[in-house]
Amino acid sequence: MAGKGNKEEKISKRRLRSSYITTIVSLSLVLFLLGLIGLLILNTKKLSDYVKENIGFSVIVEDNIKEVDLIRLKKNLDASRFVKSTEHITKEKAAETLQKDLGEDFIDFLGYNPLPVSIDVRLKAPYANPDSIEVIKKELSTNKEIKELFYQPSIIDLVNKNVNRISIIILLFSALLFLISTALINNTIRLSVYSKRFTIKTMQLVGATRNFVRKPFLLTGILQGIISAIIAMMLLSGIIYIAQKEMVEIISFRDIEILGALFGIVLVIGIIITFTSTYFAVNRYLKLKSDSLYY
Amino acid sequence: MNEENTIINLENTNIFQGGKCIVADINMKVRSKEFAYLIGKVGSGKTSILKTLYGELKPVNGIAKVTQYNLHSLKTKHIPLLRREMGIVFQDFQLLTDRKVYDNLLFALKATGWKKKDEINQRIDETLEKVGLPDKKFKMPHELSGGEQQRIVIARALLNKPSLILADEPTGNLDPETSEGIMNLLFEIKNEGTTVVMATHNYILLKKYPAKTYRCIDGKLEEITETENAIDFDALQ
Repeated sequence: MAGKGNKEEKISKRRLRSSYITTIVSLSLVLFLLGLIGLLILNTKKLSDYVKENIGFSVIVEDNIKEVDLIRLKKNLDASRFVKSTEHITKEKAAETLQKDLGEDFIDFLGYNPLPVSIDVRLKAPYANPDSIEVIKKELSTNKEIKELFYQPSIIDLVNKNVNRISIIILLFSALLFLISTALINNTIRLSVYSKRFTIKTMQLVGATRNFVRKPFLLTGILQGIISAIIAMMLLSGIIYIAQKEMVEIISFRDIEILGALFGIVLVIGIIITFTSTYFAVNRYLKLKSDSLYY
Repeated sequence: MNEENTIINLENTNIFQGGKCIVADINMKVRSKEFAYLIGKVGSGKTSILKTLYGELKPVNGIAKVTQYNLHSLKTKHIPLLRREMGIVFQDFQLLTDRKVYDNLLFALKATGWKKKDEINQRIDETLEKVGLPDKKFKMPHELSGGEQQRIVIARALLNKPSLILADEPTGNLDPETSEGIMNLLFEIKNEGTTVVMATHNYILLKKYPAKTYRCIDGKLEEITETENAIDFDALQ
């Protein structure tokens, strides 16, 4: 008899635990996906900045410029607000690059080096768009030492348009995912509260206040949120670790502040989802008359 | 009649459920330390009257008072306080099946504001002693027989030393011998000074344990005032 009782007890306990685990697993997967999207958003910014800051323009200077003037011009450019970095391209260096690209010794063929001296300018990401470049061009063209500004508007346009499009798609996708996941978790929690509806009623009948009935449910909910968030963070750390090994320029463990913010957001979202779902699910049954419980 | 001694006072009250009038024009007065039966066929409104008494249904019109609470002006947040004045016993027990007897009683005490561990333990032992099951403290509800579960429910109802016990067919699921045991216990509780209102359709018990009786019939509530012998039990059945 005692053995039978123990067995039944074990089964009912296992059943309870499995519903608890189901909630945590689904919640942590959802939080993991949200975190992943967060990582992606943070990295599109980084990646697009990276791409944008690698495009720039070439400032082709007058052939007869003095070395001092050239250095002064480079310093001026360096100091201006839109420039990330500059590089002095000498005639020889330009020839070397072109020779590599063409695969042919054109200087031998021509007998002289026709390439001009130039300064390669890399722009800061916020300035790397066609409008700003037009303004910068106008600003620089007043300078007598500059012969010509050379850039490819199509590339910059292409990058900008694509980055915008990709960001919007990712944002829409994450909003959709967030909605789906909230609905999913809400359902899981409502089911587990539903299974305790008679317990809730009994608690009320012995004279428990609504807050008293709600409290243990909410505490469990918050705990589930925290555990799920921790699992999601561990999965995210794993992903970051692997990504770092395979690729460069992805968000790294060194970006403690950004990672901290991301993990914090994951934790807060986890708690908010479980807390509000549990609150409304329990409230539903607190307000219900006992007759309606059987439906 | 001394007003202070009146535990339940319903005068010309109606009970509606789902927009339909279940029992109309109720007049019911139960004084403290009294035992009262609510009889009537299934669906005649006994349970609805009990539900009104513990604040699950709201009465319409007339006077409706239970202990010091006016049921007409009872706010949602005061319902738990009203329920602490009474103990409720159900036909289907309504124990928390996921925890032991001790934890069931512990929960009821904590829910009603008990804090001190030794006071709680003392009170649980006292009430279990009273219902005659001091050795079942650490059993799960499903390990107990129906009669034992009902005794635990009565123990839970007694925890806060209520002035009123509402029992909705407490013997409905039990065999005759076990039922008598429960009746003896309820009368013992009544003799110790607690008002008991019991809904039942078990007329054999009614004959054996006579007391003030109200009958629900045709949407009305009437008091059967004649002496015990005048009640035509065959007609009632």
